[in-house]
Amino acid sequence: MTKKITFDYWKHLYSKRTRYMASSEIRDLLSLSARPDIISFSGGLPEVRALSFERLEKYIRRIIKTDGAISLQYSGSDVYYPLKTRLIEVMKLEGVDAVEEDIITTTGSQHALDLLSKIFINPGDTIITEAPSYTGALNAFNSYEAKIIGIPVDRYGIDVSILEEKLKELRKKKVTVKFIYLVPNFSNPSGVTLSLKRRKIVLELAKKYNTVILEDNPYGMLRFEGSPIPTIKELDSRGDNRNVIYLCTLSKLLAPGLRVGWIVAPHPILERIILGVQSTILCVSILSQRIAYEYFSDPTWQENIERFKDIYERRRDAMLKSLEDNFPRGAEWSKPDGGFFIWLKLPEFLNTREILADSIRNKVAFVPGTGFYADSSGLSEARLAYCTEDTDRIEKGIRILAGIIKEKIKLYKSFK
Amino acid sequence: MKKNIAVLMGGRSLEREFSIKSGERISNALRKLGHNVIKMDIDEHIVDNLTSGRIDLAYIALHGKDGEDGTIQEILEVLNIPYTGPGVYPNVLSFDKIISKQILMSHKIPTPPFYFLNTSSFRELGSSKLLPFIIEKIGLPMVVKPSAQGSALGIKIVNNKESLPEAIIYALSYSKKVILEKFIDGVELAVSIIGKDRPRTLPIVEIVPKKKFFDFESRANIDQTDYFVPARLSPAEEKKVKETAIAVHNALKCNILSRVDIILDKKDKIPYVLELNTSPGMTDTSLLPMAAEEAGMSFEELVDEIIRMSL
Repeated sequence: MTKKITFDYWKHLYSKRTRYMASSEIRDLLSLSARPDIISFSGGLPEVRALSFERLEKYIRRIIKTDGAISLQYSGSDVYYPLKTRLIEVMKLEGVDAVEEDIITTTGSQHALDLLSKIFINPGDTIITEAPSYTGALNAFNSYEAKIIGIPVDRYGIDVSILEEKLKELRKKKVTVKFIYLVPNFSNPSGVTLSLKRRKIVLELAKKYNTVILEDNPYGMLRFEGSPIPTIKELDSRGDNRNVIYLCTLSKLLAPGLRVGWIVAPHPILERIILGVQSTILCVSILSQRIAYEYFSDPTWQENIERFKDIYERRRDAMLKSLEDNFPRGAEWSKPDGGFFIWLKLPEFLNTREILADSIRNKVAFVPGTGFYADSSGLSEARLAYCTEDTDRIEKGIRILAGIIKEKIKLYKSFK
Repeated sequence: MKKNIAVLMGGRSLEREFSIKSGERISNALRKLGHNVIKMDIDEHIVDNLTSGRIDLAYIALHGKDGEDGTIQEILEVLNIPYTGPGVYPNVLSFDKIISKQILMSHKIPTPPFYFLNTSSFRELGSSKLLPFIIEKIGLPMVVKPSAQGSALGIKIVNNKESLPEAIIYALSYSKKVILEKFIDGVELAVSIIGKDRPRTLPIVEIVPKKKFFDFESRANIDQTDYFVPARLSPAEEKKVKETAIAVHNALKCNILSRVDIILDKKDKIPYVLELNTSPGMTDTSLLPMAAEEAGMSFEELVDEIIRMSL
């Protein structure tokens, strides 16, 4: 007697939003990139080996010795208070003025994105992002069934005239834009920095169209070229200070394994976020927050940042030079002043998903562009992370990638 | 008796994730059967790992490159370590779909008509000019696939001549050679075979993708495909399909186990052979364990039989 095989008896119980969580070919191909023999330009992995493990060990010993029982206990859903003072000092270095009551910690920025999606997005609600935009953010917004509108990015960041047109059009249709999500400094994935002029315009537009900006700033302190540009949060604080929700993380300043991020937001929004924290994780790891407190209380932390910057700058330079030396005509790439990523645009007839398959077979990994677009465009684009590999491997990897692309171009031309 | 069994999993192939899932499940079954399990990834240390302690058997849970192309089997032969699944020769033959299809044709086993072309023939010999001739000979739709790749990676169905170059370039990202094969409209069937000297077929699994074609996404996401076991075939069709599968297993000199993928043509009811897999998936959603279960074998019993035959 024939029977239909049922692998999953609970399909009828799942929420609709799980349909956005399918396995993909790209994800499976990239699973190979964790192997040491693969030169990986795929993940934005900070160089945590540059940290002083001796110092970290000292902090952790001290915490366990003096405060073990508290550090291993539940805490309130609000931040470990002494850390707030340190975070205020850290943010001040980037021009963000905040007081203790403005801050809440999260389990990394991804948790912040999930919380903000939870409190703002009903299924079908409209939000705006850069295009391309950070995949983790797109996934969080998608999981709450947002309608995501991507606005193109050029070398100065999000195109503000297209943004304004879109906002105008949506207002005409009586569509509320729940928020505009931006990574203004050395954006993930584009590596592009939003110019001061455009930051001001975006803020004006948010005010004019009565919406908020989610300013995600994980890389701001990792600038190794040019002068810092005020954050949108700082610009907002010169006025009524109510249109920007500022997100930051320890992942690039210390280590992603600690899973600590934080949000600075107007108080009514913060109140909602706290309720969201209670219903999801109860509280952020107090041990991780205590380690962060020790780290930022040690004046050497800024030396670590300088060390990080030095490493990333050398790696960026190696990748840019190697791209320049090896890549064929018709390929373009961004030239970031900081952060982790270079955005690559190849001639339109090339498909980076296909190049990835070839590239993985030749032991080089990167992330194809489609995952960074809500509408899965970006077929001929890709993100190259220079933060992970040392300069020799970067040069070798780019040479291999260039070879594959040149072969693809020849193959493509053979059909013309 | 308790054995030291190395489960070879992961590896360098594009099917690494599938292999890890298969390997983990096999390892659990082997532990339940009372064996000592040593999980091994395939990398530059593999020879050292295989020779550093006593290994009674290597369970090959690798898919694709290295695991199904004869590479790991040859290493194990040199080291005199018994292993599961077919030997070097059948792996070499079946991994290259061009060679295996030629062998099938020489045994008069039906396989969809095809042509193959390689990257350099496009770049250096102007083979793109052959495409109109191939379309004329094979017709459209056509299946375009890499010559050596599993899990439906790199495969596309082409319905019109305009999309043929794109599909060829896609397939050539996975392999140096591309196969242009006649699309057979029919029922997709998987026939699992086990047995050392007298191979026997397990119940046939019928695959009904919700999309038109059983592609990578259909394989990887369980809700995108329906499976029926045993397949909804008439007794005569079932007999013909099973005989064909055994003929393929024998023609490619397989032993211990294999899985033969077949399309039963809707119109003329000919079972066309697509390929033979020497290391079929062993995950929760794989076809061989599904067929074994229908035959009344638990996963542990299946693994037990495979290792008994291989020792």
